[in-house]
Amino acid sequence: MDSQTTIPATSGAFAEGVQLPKTVSVTGLNHYFGEGELRKQALYSNNLDVRRGEIVIMTGPSGSGKTTLLTLIGTLRGVQEGSLKVLGNELLGSDRDLIVRLRRQLGFIFQAHNLFESLTAFQNVNMAAELAGLDPGIAAGRIKSLLTRLGLSERIHYKPNSLSGGQKQRVAIARGLVHKPRLILADEPTAALDEHSGREVVTLFQELARDEGCTIIMVTHDNRILDVADRIVNMVDGHIKSDVAVQETSVICEFLKGFPLFADLTPNTLAEVADQMMVHKADQGQEVIRQGDAGDLFYLIRSGSVDVTVDDGKTRNKVAELKQGQFFGEAALITDEPRNATVTAREKTVFYGLGKDDFRKVLETSATFEQELRQALFNRQ
Amino acid sequence: MKRTTKTPLAWKNLTHDWRRLAVAIAGIGFAVLLMFTQVGFQNALFDSQVKIITDLKGDIFIVSKAKYTLAAEKRFSISRIHQARSCSGVRGAYPVYSELTTSVLRKIDAGRGNRGYPLRALGFHLGDPVFRSEVIDQQKDRLRSPGTALIDVKSKARKFEFDMQKPDELSQYGVELAGKKLTLVGTFDLGTDFAHDGNLVMSAESFAKYFPHRKRMGDPLSVVDLGVVHLLPGFSAAEVKQRLEDTLDKDVVVHTREEFRAAEIKFWDKSTPIGTIFLAGKIIGFVVGMVICYQVIYSDIADHMPEFATLKAMGYPTGYFIRLIMAESLLLSLIGFLPGTVVSRALYAWLAGKTGLHMLMSLECIVFVLIATIAMCIASGMLAVRKLLSADPATLF
Repeated sequence: MDSQTTIPATSGAFAEGVQLPKTVSVTGLNHYFGEGELRKQALYSNNLDVRRGEIVIMTGPSGSGKTTLLTLIGTLRGVQEGSLKVLGNELLGSDRDLIVRLRRQLGFIFQAHNLFESLTAFQNVNMAAELAGLDPGIAAGRIKSLLTRLGLSERIHYKPNSLSGGQKQRVAIARGLVHKPRLILADEPTAALDEHSGREVVTLFQELARDEGCTIIMVTHDNRILDVADRIVNMVDGHIKSDVAVQETSVICEFLKGFPLFADLTPNTLAEVADQMMVHKADQGQEVIRQGDAGDLFYLIRSGSVDVTVDDGKTRNKVAELKQGQFFGEAALITDEPRNATVTAREKTVFYGLGKDDFRKVLETSATFEQELRQALFNRQ
Repeated sequence: MKRTTKTPLAWKNLTHDWRRLAVAIAGIGFAVLLMFTQVGFQNALFDSQVKIITDLKGDIFIVSKAKYTLAAEKRFSISRIHQARSCSGVRGAYPVYSELTTSVLRKIDAGRGNRGYPLRALGFHLGDPVFRSEVIDQQKDRLRSPGTALIDVKSKARKFEFDMQKPDELSQYGVELAGKKLTLVGTFDLGTDFAHDGNLVMSAESFAKYFPHRKRMGDPLSVVDLGVVHLLPGFSAAEVKQRLEDTLDKDVVVHTREEFRAAEIKFWDKSTPIGTIFLAGKIIGFVVGMVICYQVIYSDIADHMPEFATLKAMGYPTGYFIRLIMAESLLLSLIGFLPGTVVSRALYAWLAGKTGLHMLMSLECIVFVLIATIAMCIASGMLAVRKLLSADPATLF
């Protein structure tokens, strides 16, 4: 049999290609506020890996713990329980020197701009450049080009008093980026910005992620910028409810759409299906399912290929060869009969598996397609 | 790595809000003024205590070992003066006689005696160069006739009601000193102090006549209050002082001019409440300044908590914030000190005119107040910096 993992399909952990190093690695993280009887748990065994160059958007209702998680990752709060590694450094029980050193490699963008009223836009940004020990000449050039990029070329030497709210926010963004941080933590960075400058900011984020390998984690409710996210992490009541790789999820949904029984599902439902799938792996020659066994999983081939063989009692005949994006295993689930064929991995193969119960539930949902459509139209307002 | 073009955040924050800056300067300037006033009064009062030393011409002074202050009537034998004369490096040694408790001056109007008040009578041999005052020198001839004296123009007018503006008419007053008739033949200028309400200067011969009981048996001039020593050119005071100490009997103390001044001031400073009173005044000025300075720095910090927390999040270390507030305190003390000093200078001039006290803004006094101001600002800055260090970047998200 294949080896099942506990990794959800949508986590993107088994996407093809080189795996980049983890910028942030959260394992079993708990956090509490208050003391004694008033002690209240804010985070419940959170697990999260963010890799170099990823843009992660965290969502969730207020009080869900996303801000707490962000401050913990940003070294602004002490880790109480569990493990939290940022840029390869364990934060649990870390000393102050490490924290100060680490903070200089981070870029913070807060919801409030927090600019010094006494300093010009240039000087405010320069406070970050100085700390990074940049050569003043180089720093000046970079500050100017950043501020120009953010549409503030005319106001480089203005004090915050003579800037609008959006302009101040852009200065604060420049301050968070000028020292080329390896990890940017942003809280509603675009909330105070109009559509155009908000777009400019996220484009800048994307460039930094692509060209500099900068990792970006932001909390936002601004759905205009959701498209830049590589992953979307949803938190509810201190739990990470879902952590999906957008690209991978869309790949899975595309694949699922190709499955006739799922063709009528809305993207919403498809994404939910994708969420329920788990990663399975098989080595070359390994049997994934065996003819005659009871069927319990529906398989989608993520990478690699398999042979399908049927044993008619005397000989074993190869009936098909399946490749990436194709499925098998559905018949046994629909008819409740044993597997009617054996599937063997031709090479190292990764599958996404959906459990029997979940699979059936999806089929039922499929029937209520029209109802769901009505619901969606009603919710649109 | 040292960079020269650091953003001058301390200066920028301080000067950003000119209204707050004006209040800060006014407050610290006021504290500076308070301290200057205290220091000025104290110095003026101490100066008047040692004015007599300033007015005496001499390099080294000999007093009785028991004389703890100029006003203490402790004397020594004239033979110490003779011994001093024989020391090498000494050009001359001269006795000065002084009398206070029995030296009661009383004005007689139309045959009726008024109440008498004590004042300091100084006697000297008219040939001895003991006074710097040219006014005394010029009137020496008048003092040759017995029973004559010069009176200090600054003698307290309430007790000694003479018209000092007309020195030539002073002789017409009927005056008694220690119960004997005295003729005032002119004025000189010395000044009063805590112990002395007025001064007279007369020849040693007259002095002996008025105070015959200075020595129970024998010559009243054989006991001396103060010995004034002049040096020969080329000899240092320290060297001759050493020689005098070796030569003279141990019942006297030998002082250079500076030591004598310092010893007298030390007495008034340490052995009387005066030093304590002024110290309290200076402390009050210091504390007022500290409170004002603390208020200024604290409110500046409190207004910028999110900004400072952001700097913390960016990775600025604790040391940076301490240096920042130190710099801010230092700047504050300097920009408060300048106007404070200018105003104090004006106040000194006004007070000097009003009270006749010697209000001098010496370099020493300026340095003292400057150091106190800097200490005051930095101390309050360090108290206020705790607020800054409590800035929590975790509250920013």
